[in-house]
Amino acid sequence: MPAGDGDSVDDHRSQARVREVYDDIADHFAQTREYPWPEVEEFLDDIDGTRGLDVGCGNGRHLEAMADCVDHVIGVDVSRQLLGTATERMAERGWSGALLQSDAAALPIQSGTIDAAVYVATLHHLPTTEQRRASLTDLARVLTEEGRALVSAWSTAHDRFDASADAEEGFDTTVDWTLPSGETVPRYYHIYAPAEFEDDLAASALTVESVRVSSGNCYAEVSG
Amino acid sequence: MQEELMDILCCPVDKHELELEVDDREDDEILTGRLVCTECGEAYPIEDGIPNLLPPDMRDEAPA
Repeated sequence: MPAGDGDSVDDHRSQARVREVYDDIADHFAQTREYPWPEVEEFLDDIDGTRGLDVGCGNGRHLEAMADCVDHVIGVDVSRQLLGTATERMAERGWSGALLQSDAAALPIQSGTIDAAVYVATLHHLPTTEQRRASLTDLARVLTEEGRALVSAWSTAHDRFDASADAEEGFDTTVDWTLPSGETVPRYYHIYAPAEFEDDLAASALTVESVRVSSGNCYAEVSG
Repeated sequence: MQEELMDILCCPVDKHELELEVDDREDDEILTGRLVCTECGEAYPIEDGIPNLLPPDMRDEAPA
């Protein structure tokens, strides 16, 4: 559905709309998500264990990288169509993992079962501070005692935004996805100020091990 | 989904255990069925091997 000129961020600030958007753009989006992020590979360098989880797994590129470090990988995503692209990627590349359609703020996973998790480029799609903090707390719940996770979100430090990285709070916006046809699809984002990212982590049940800004994203290594 | 995944799944809403009901399976892979919460009774459908564990208020009324 093309965006009209009258579109405002309010029209897109909901999990249902984010899901619909990623269902619509899944195939093209997945094609452009070939390689794992270097920050994720670096995190995975020190990871081993029984179970790994990717919250907002998309086409599964980070699950694939994680499958080399842990015995079992589990990917969750709100978009059924994106999970379909992850299924294809597994079949094409000969690795395996479990896939679940799920909301990041309501994980269908028992407490204390996950040794390592990545929650990258997903938190910023949740519509409210309450939901974002709830998702961080639910991540803490599923981690084992020794479990560790990497969390990332787009930040005001990204050069595409005309915003100060020193602001106390970030802002809501839409970022267009351009399909090969030229059609643009607006995606809801909450762009984090680094200080606000740290506030949300501190307000959650996670323990922050380290936090930094890299390539325009806020990153935190956390434990449960 | 593989049946062994039941070891770690729970209801997304109240986090209680789920019970697996299988309609169709291929070897170890469960293709169609549902996961029913032992506490609240909510049934989460499994379609094409992927469970839809979205909370009920986020789930489609009808399958796409």
